[in-house]
Amino acid sequence: MSDYGVLLQQVVNGLSLGAMYALLALGFTLVYGILELINFAHFNVFMVSSFFGMWALEFLGITGQSRVLAGPALAGALVFAFAVTMIGAGILGVAIERLSLRPLRGVRGTAAMITTIGVSYILFNIILLTVGAGSENYPNPLPVVRWQLGEVTLELKELLIWGVAVALMLALHFFVNRTRLGKAMRATAQDAEAARMMGVDVDRVIVTAFFLGSALAGAAALIFGLYYNYTSFIVGYTAGLRAFTAAVLGGIGSIPGAMVGGILIGLIETLGGQLIAVRWTDVIIFSILVLVLVFVPTGLFGRVTSTKS
Amino acid sequence: MRSNIVTLPRGWTADVFARVPARARAHLGIVCVTAAALLFPLVNGNDADIDSAANALAFAALALGLNIVVGFAGLLDLGYAAFFAIGAYAYGVASSWQLQPQWSNVWEPFQWLDLVSRFHTAGGDVVHFQVSFWLMLPVAAAIAAFFGVLFGAPTLRLKGDYLAIVTLGFGEIVPIVARNTPSVTNGAMGLNGVAAPRLFGYDFGVDATPYYYVGLALVAFLILTSQRLKDSRIGRAWMAIREDEIAAAAMGVDRVRFKLLAFAIGAAFAGATGTFYVAKLQTATPEMFMFPVSVMVLVMIVFGGIGSVWGVVVGALVLQILQSWFLEDLSQWLHALGRLVNIEWLQHVELASSIELIFGFILVLMMLYRREGLIPATRRVAPLSLDEQTTQIGRGGFDLLPATAISNRVATGPLLEVSDLTVRFGGLVALRSVELSVPAQTVVAVIGPNGSGKSTLFNVVTGVVPAGRGSIRFAGGEIGRLRPHAILERGIARTFQNIRLFPNLTVLENVMIGMHARLDTGPVGALLRLPANRREEAAAREHAREILALFGNRLLPRADHLAASLSYANRRRTEIARALATQPKLLLLDEPTAGMNPAETLELADQIQSLNRHGLTILLIEHKLDVVAMLADRVIVLDHGEKIAEGPPEAVRRDEEVIRAYLGRSTAFA
Repeated sequence: MSDYGVLLQQVVNGLSLGAMYALLALGFTLVYGILELINFAHFNVFMVSSFFGMWALEFLGITGQSRVLAGPALAGALVFAFAVTMIGAGILGVAIERLSLRPLRGVRGTAAMITTIGVSYILFNIILLTVGAGSENYPNPLPVVRWQLGEVTLELKELLIWGVAVALMLALHFFVNRTRLGKAMRATAQDAEAARMMGVDVDRVIVTAFFLGSALAGAAALIFGLYYNYTSFIVGYTAGLRAFTAAVLGGIGSIPGAMVGGILIGLIETLGGQLIAVRWTDVIIFSILVLVLVFVPTGLFGRVTSTKS
Repeated sequence: MRSNIVTLPRGWTADVFARVPARARAHLGIVCVTAAALLFPLVNGNDADIDSAANALAFAALALGLNIVVGFAGLLDLGYAAFFAIGAYAYGVASSWQLQPQWSNVWEPFQWLDLVSRFHTAGGDVVHFQVSFWLMLPVAAAIAAFFGVLFGAPTLRLKGDYLAIVTLGFGEIVPIVARNTPSVTNGAMGLNGVAAPRLFGYDFGVDATPYYYVGLALVAFLILTSQRLKDSRIGRAWMAIREDEIAAAAMGVDRVRFKLLAFAIGAAFAGATGTFYVAKLQTATPEMFMFPVSVMVLVMIVFGGIGSVWGVVVGALVLQILQSWFLEDLSQWLHALGRLVNIEWLQHVELASSIELIFGFILVLMMLYRREGLIPATRRVAPLSLDEQTTQIGRGGFDLLPATAISNRVATGPLLEVSDLTVRFGGLVALRSVELSVPAQTVVAVIGPNGSGKSTLFNVVTGVVPAGRGSIRFAGGEIGRLRPHAILERGIARTFQNIRLFPNLTVLENVMIGMHARLDTGPVGALLRLPANRREEAAAREHAREILALFGNRLLPRADHLAASLSYANRRRTEIARALATQPKLLLLDEPTAGMNPAETLELADQIQSLNRHGLTILLIEHKLDVVAMLADRVIVLDHGEKIAEGPPEAVRRDEEVIRAYLGRSTAFA
């Protein structure tokens, strides 16, 4: 394979990872847009959800990569797994908001952020203590189907990932821009106080943001498992940091920004790994985070900062 | 359950305790703690216990450092372990066999200084690094501080939350770099054979006791440093930034500089502790400095009390000792309990392995139910009794104003000159080609409907909002591009429309922060407390009380109360007092009488008038037109960002345009 072919293959891989990071970044951005809070619990909502997905597939009797499904059975299994994972993740997100963050609404300073770190740590250790420190072989019912397009190999699982990601992002876009609750969400993001005075139930908007953000993280988590064929208690940390970088790169608070940022980070990860060295990937992505924050703090699609003083 | 056997009156111990003066009580406490800490290894004698205690001291030192960053300056640092790692590797590399460059003459001066030695090997002579532990303590601190500045400089200008994520990433990559550069750090295998400290020929070796005493000395020194910084100009500036960044800048605190200072000092603590820790373990691996360490130190300060020096030490010691001494026993008890009541899972609980889960719960529960921690940083003061509130302790009034309060009076001519000033927020033009001149020693009032750009004008003049176009000249110099703290240094002080005091600081501290730009004590002075620094601090305290006394008995009896506990009118007064403490030439008051009743309004108007009589120039935003008529020499009227009228109060009051702007366009024709 030529160098050019290798790079092109890495672009394909990068788009798959990018789709996953974009879904995860949306959760950061939805919550930040409304509460101006970096939700560190999101890192491990993602990790826990990957186990939800694993258990859902195992519930259907699928273990490892040996049992391959096709046709309606495959479609049914996937729909079931995505539904269980996303709803489970959404409920987890809402529970975190209700139990640990709502009591801190209106408290100034770093208290809410420290709480999300604590919640994240609790989730992390619950999985570590119950499932163990090893990595789990992820059930995967997808048949290995490959298409050779010139020098690039395209896999069925990649098409599936792109399809799911695009469908979810379109659904979110429709929800935010075309529904009543979506309009309330946009209003709350601009000015929570004014939205409250106009009769918007801000608590409901916040719960919705947590549910949607976490459900998208759930989808990303299942994609992670199906793509890499493993999961472990530790996967939330790296993926979360990269997805957060994606959200910042796109402009935190901006929904299209999170999508574009996610794709870019996916491409940077695979191409950077190819051109430099995989072991430096985290350093590269972290450097991008710092550079973006210093030179374009509003990101690619960032809002003009509010003029409230 | 209260026991009835004790016949002494209730609370008698508290009575006896209260008779001892507070200062003596504090000294007695410190003496007792020190004595207990010094005697501990002699009494205990168990090497494993002393070793745990020495480790606990290392973490107490880390907690003290993180407390400066998070507790004092309010900057959430999630990668604090990175600086610990830098200090650890600095000593590890400088006193082990990891680096062995070829010997050449270049090394001779270092050999003479005893930093390196010449070592013979089969392949020729090589350099052996053997830098002394005692030298490396400050050097590692300096190296860590350097990295603190390096990483802080680009990121500390950002909003606080971004800092958390950047430091998280920084904490992540430092161990990665350590793992990926095996030539310097020996990679994942870790550095080995790090030299133990020597003192007067005595090698510390692996015995825990000498390390315990070094750790104790380190913690004692860091407690002293923290306390002295906290109660100084430096600490007040940090806490002002933590409480309200914009107000801190408007009161003359250079935000970037002081955040960097906090970051550097916090990092220095971690650097020195890293050296101590590695010298004790005589090895360093990347795993020792990962994210869990940063979280653990954060848990310690949250548990002990964010911002409280003794709190974080106690938090660190309690959690470390819990971890190494009690969790094992506690697990055994639970197993016994499980066998007793026949519950299967209780017999298998291993608390020691769930310590991180416990940490997570501590973080969440402390934030939800006791944010101030075990030992809160601020002590609540009892509210004044009715008697105390009504006692007249002095007539007050601004005629008592000390001569120093108003600096360098300018005789005549314009003090502030604004010309062609335009400010846009996106598509909205907040100010359009505004011209304005404030003659020295006058009172100029700016009036206009809400949204007419009055507060924006103040924000631009004080540097809070950048000027789009136009020039702002103050006392003959252009200030349009200066940052807020630099503008305050020139002599412009302000109050805010929606009051921006530092809520968790006392009234006195609030006023003393106003003096920030007029005091000189730096971090070294704050630490050494030289006679000059003591004099300056005492004079500043005295001056702050004089300023509070200007408001009669409104503020002075409440000098030690938190600003958050004040009534609305007293918060307005405190804000004015804070602005006066900056020794301004020009005072900008944004709706000073808003929310005050007629009597209070009159009292304040009177005070503003006497300030002006003493030579202070005042620019005032006010909605109460009778107040404006009473105070102002000239009135400027803004509407939709444009100046529509200017003149003496009576003339402006009759102006058609002004009436239309205030009463509405249609009614003006009626």
